[in-house]
Amino acid sequence: MARYGMVIDETKCVGCHACRVACQNQNNLAEKEAYNHLEEREYGTFPNYNREFLPVQCQHCDNPPCVKVCPTRASHKRKDGVVLVDKDKCIGCKYCIAACPYNVRIIKKEGYIEKCRFCIEFVEKGEKPACMTTCMTGVRMFGDLDDPNSEISQYIIKNKLKQFKAELNTKPRIYYKKA
Amino acid sequence: MNINRFEITRRGFLKATGATVGALSLSHELLDFKNWASASAEAPITRIPTFCNGCGNRCGIFAFVKNGRLWKIEGNPEANGNLGVICPKGHGYLHDLYNPHRLKGPLKRAGDHFESIPWEQAYKEIAEKINLILMDAGPQSIFWVNYPQSNHMYALRLMHALGSPHYFTHGSTCYTARNAGWVTTVGELPSNDLSNSRYILIVGRNPAGGLDLGEVKKIAEAKEKGAKVVVIDPRHSETAILADEWLPIKPGTDLAFLLGMINVVVKEELYDKEFVKEKTVGFEQLEDEIVNYPPEWAERVCEIPAKTIFRITREIARLKPKVLLHRGYHAAFGSQYLNSFETARALAIANSLLGNINREGGIYFAKSAQLGELQPKHPAPELPKIGKSDGTGIPGRYPLGSYGDGITHAIPEMALRGELKAGFVYHNNPLRTNPNPKRVIAGYKKLDLLVVVDTVLSETASIAHYVLPESFYLERDEAVDTKHSGKKAQVSIQQQAVKPLFDTRPGTQIIIEFGKHLGVGKYFNFDIDEANRLRLKPFGVTLEELKKNGILFVGEKWKEGLGKLETPSGKVEIRSSTLEKLGFPPIPRWEEPLVSPDPKDLHSFRLLHGKQAIHTHAMTANQPVLMAVSQRYDMIRIWMNKKRGEQLGLKDGDWVRIKSIVGEGKIRVRLTEGIHPSCIWLPSGYGIFSKHLKTAYDVGLSYNDFLPTYFDPTVGHAMSSEIVVQVSKDQEVRS
Repeated sequence: MARYGMVIDETKCVGCHACRVACQNQNNLAEKEAYNHLEEREYGTFPNYNREFLPVQCQHCDNPPCVKVCPTRASHKRKDGVVLVDKDKCIGCKYCIAACPYNVRIIKKEGYIEKCRFCIEFVEKGEKPACMTTCMTGVRMFGDLDDPNSEISQYIIKNKLKQFKAELNTKPRIYYKKA
Repeated sequence: MNINRFEITRRGFLKATGATVGALSLSHELLDFKNWASASAEAPITRIPTFCNGCGNRCGIFAFVKNGRLWKIEGNPEANGNLGVICPKGHGYLHDLYNPHRLKGPLKRAGDHFESIPWEQAYKEIAEKINLILMDAGPQSIFWVNYPQSNHMYALRLMHALGSPHYFTHGSTCYTARNAGWVTTVGELPSNDLSNSRYILIVGRNPAGGLDLGEVKKIAEAKEKGAKVVVIDPRHSETAILADEWLPIKPGTDLAFLLGMINVVVKEELYDKEFVKEKTVGFEQLEDEIVNYPPEWAERVCEIPAKTIFRITREIARLKPKVLLHRGYHAAFGSQYLNSFETARALAIANSLLGNINREGGIYFAKSAQLGELQPKHPAPELPKIGKSDGTGIPGRYPLGSYGDGITHAIPEMALRGELKAGFVYHNNPLRTNPNPKRVIAGYKKLDLLVVVDTVLSETASIAHYVLPESFYLERDEAVDTKHSGKKAQVSIQQQAVKPLFDTRPGTQIIIEFGKHLGVGKYFNFDIDEANRLRLKPFGVTLEELKKNGILFVGEKWKEGLGKLETPSGKVEIRSSTLEKLGFPPIPRWEEPLVSPDPKDLHSFRLLHGKQAIHTHAMTANQPVLMAVSQRYDMIRIWMNKKRGEQLGLKDGDWVRIKSIVGEGKIRVRLTEGIHPSCIWLPSGYGIFSKHLKTAYDVGLSYNDFLPTYFDPTVGHAMSSEIVVQVSKDQEVRS
């Protein structure tokens, strides 16, 4: 079976936040509930200056700290690589929020914890995640990391892409292209 | 039509290739978001092709309706303007459909508040007042201000039927100098063939912030293919993030950079000799004049090193003609500086010397579909015999002013002089988007009658005598359009996705009903469907086909090559006979900005403004989904060069006081190395002062609060970066 993953080309992100709002609509989120974040970074001094935006969302780790600390197994890892929260099992203890090194989990106003779901219900029907399809510069690529011939696998190999905070051994399923 | 026939389940939808059309009725309990979200998990979905109205670009979208409630939008890949992608404003603005503060029915002023009034009664009273004004002051005392919409044809017809020439767009505060510069040089406003370009030089334009989604997508594509992108901007813009090089320029001196570039092109004979010989006039005079502007001179004025100007010019010329200098928009060229028109002229000439006009990968003339006319079946009114008193047109006070756009920010002056007595303002908010609001308020309040058509109580609506609520864009059909034309002409349509929630009407219907009540009904004996069919007639496309697809290609594909241009000589006018006749310099020459900050005064800055990708004009700040982004990322701050800030004793995030000759305000500062030291940069879209817009009220500032009322002498634009302000640390202690 397919095991999903994503590439984020941070050199292409212009910081427009379309991914955040598209995702909010797709997932019926309230205005302050967001699964996508942009971290802006600045480099250099005038006039030799540059800045970039780093898009961050749930990294769908293969070694997910959130799953390990969850006392009710609400946070769980699926066979297709996606990490999800079962809202019926979630007791809102926030251990996962403390454990996640990417700071991407939110408390829904209903009281349970949520985060990027890779739009899995839509992906299963052949669509792509909303953050990807809305993006004007094509920051994201999505596909099957288990298939070595998939476009995304080839791209990761060719560009020798690395994960975000890979040193934490969380084994994220999102790979970043940097300048 | 049985709507059920078109309903599809989510699963079925994915297999369905054709779009479906129809508006679903709405049960009131589903208006509640929570009820709807839980009830709608497996509800059938309808997908309607239409237009976004989150800004003037009006991107092609599919609206997804689930259980009678709008769920989300996706981009229509056929639309040339957005090529299948959607920006945050598009996703966010759709929520205004369910904004609790929306106008729910027509309103009439009663002293300091509004009262509800039935539509027919409102029309009757407006007609009585207009008739008195017509008798008293004549038809030219009535005006209409329109937002970019395909229904402008209806509004023009109404004004012409009444005999008034006073139809306005927002152009004089946005783009009129750029248009005039291009029209004078090549006869029309061209487009950029970005995706096929090998070298893209963007001077004073930020398509990734003042969004043009199609352009940004094409720049990204060009980069993938190896194109070099250079951005020249006083601020490290969002487009600069995509660029190979960012060259910070001293604000207001883009003309000096372009003149320096042209100097190198001419002196080193880097121009396209065949093109210059065959397709241009006036090159010899340019050779004579341009010797005054070597890169060493340009460096002293614009602060980009001469050696960089040499290098950039040689790089771009080496790859010609598949290269371009972006055609520009608002900043640098549109309506910013006293020299904006000359800057646009220099831009057009620099492109022409590279031989890239109507060439693949260069600047090209987009194909446009010529819509059919309503006449002879519905005769058009005669054109007004009276000239516009804003000073556009011939003989005009602003000889290259755009008659079609008018000078919208002259309306308050005209009202104060008693030349205008009654106004209709359609989806426009001059009280917030025009310079110097105190003066704008004084002018608009002087009117005997102000009628505003909008969806919310904007600043302008708040002082109107009558406010007529338009159905939200997702609730109404619109006039057919050619908006998305590019390499191939397109016709397109905005159509209803959900039935109106409240007692609102489409703008086209409101204009037709105005016509009937104002005694010019004979020009409005049609409804929108009939008008749309007549306009589609030349293409052999039915209204039903268009509604099914949203967008259709019509006509021939674009081809390279330059025929006779719409200039007096039929060629590219490096030397402009039009300008010569009017007594303006026929070849661009250096012109100082009108005002400049004092380099010896630590508190003196030029105030620049520009867009963020999350806001449009003054119309989206009130949307909680978008304001949440502004707040979360601390984007309501003014940009200031870090060293200049430190000289004023400022730390990042501190409050500052800003003062110009017309206004003052307080705002927090973002200290950054990414901006030229001589200026500060204010994001536009904030500073809402209508108390009815509760989310945005009193958040941030607008540059218009600091901008004196200016009219540039060539086209009459607002010169909205000719602002010098005093900035100091705000001493007030805040909790």
